[in-house]
Amino acid sequence: MAKNLVLSLDGKEFEVVLSRIDRDDLYGKVEIEAFDEKGRPATLKVLAADGKTLIEKGGTALEVINAKGDSIDRTELVPVDLDGKEITKVESSFNAPNVLKKAEADDYLALVVKSVYLLDQTEESDLQYLHDHLTGKQLFSFPFSYRGGLEHDAAYILGDGKDAFMVVGKDGNIDYLKLNQAGALSSNEEQEISADDLSFDLM
Amino acid sequence: MAINISNPNNRDAVVAVEGLVGKREVRYVDKKGGPTSNVRVLKADAEHELAVIQKKHKTLDKVAKVLVKDDPEVDMEKSGMFLTDTSKVYVSPGGILHLVEEFELIYKTDGKLSKRRPREKKPQNINSDIPVRWTGKFIKKEDAISRFVFTNTKQLVHINGLTFDFLFKMAEDLAKKDSLLLLRAGEGGDEPVVMNRGGKQYNAFLEGRVKGQSYCLLLHLSNMELKRPEGK
Repeated sequence: MAKNLVLSLDGKEFEVVLSRIDRDDLYGKVEIEAFDEKGRPATLKVLAADGKTLIEKGGTALEVINAKGDSIDRTELVPVDLDGKEITKVESSFNAPNVLKKAEADDYLALVVKSVYLLDQTEESDLQYLHDHLTGKQLFSFPFSYRGGLEHDAAYILGDGKDAFMVVGKDGNIDYLKLNQAGALSSNEEQEISADDLSFDLM
Repeated sequence: MAINISNPNNRDAVVAVEGLVGKREVRYVDKKGGPTSNVRVLKADAEHELAVIQKKHKTLDKVAKVLVKDDPEVDMEKSGMFLTDTSKVYVSPGGILHLVEEFELIYKTDGKLSKRRPREKKPQNINSDIPVRWTGKFIKKEDAISRFVFTNTKQLVHINGLTFDFLFKMAEDLAKKDSLLLLRAGEGGDEPVVMNRGGKQYNAFLEGRVKGQSYCLLLHLSNMELKRPEGK
């Protein structure tokens, strides 16, 4: 049975069950089938740059090479940080309580999203305290690693007071672009919109 | 990638779009501290896959023997070659196809097939004669983040002094509002954004930030709401 994640907010700890969700869970999915001119089924394959070599799914592999172009066994690789120092591995976030810190919308908006989880309470836990805090449009973050490994991802806890979600990803490298001029333009008629005005299911 | 985008005054300009990448804090070196890189290599082409070998040799026993004896799964000329600039192609028993008929099979969330229809490949609409439209419709950041998942984020980049002014002003306006601007594309100016022909459609939002005389314009793309799926 999968382990539950323990979150800690203001010293209160609560266990949550994670369920990964994606677009298919919300709107269904679309598959493509293709046929040739004679009505025979067509399959997708990879064509190499030579224009002749066809490759089936699974016919390729990722290799690690050194500066000379020689293949290196993965066991010989050493993970280092940006300063070249060897990295200490991080523990799985399921092994200890995860302290939630208040986060800013701007930090979340710079996240390169990898996965989204729905958070549910266990039979023993109660998420009301968390929901109450999420109602006020607050969001929280903590470093997250599913299985443990070389580095943490960033996890953000958000919600609408009814349901809570955890969005996991990498903090993005945003650049502030420079130059020393600014225009002076007036704006068009502006209008506040509701999130309900947008359609997602037909996309 | 380029985007033709209009400002609140319906003036448009073509600027660059770059993908937002996650901060990478780990890299791998070899035992001597030398740099390493990843490459994709060919294991076996379609003619050397097990199914083809099995067709030739009929029984699995014979296949096992021939695998040990002759290595028919290995193409000595090609196996291990670095793969770059690959493309995806449709293939039928007649070979590579240049004309295919595609259908979309649409499944409901319960897995049941709901519709089968000819595939419509929408053209990209971010860099055409019709600019992506500044709709003037704003949504507060805190509302947007609790309602949508931004599955893809890009950054708008100026390409010259004029477009610096153009984008800086946009970023400044948006930063003051502390809101995301809904963008729409297409002739009617009411369509979701399509980045590539036949690609996914996204609701696109523009966010602006300013720091001194520098700006950051983020294009947030969403095709998913942040909500509990039915039955979960």
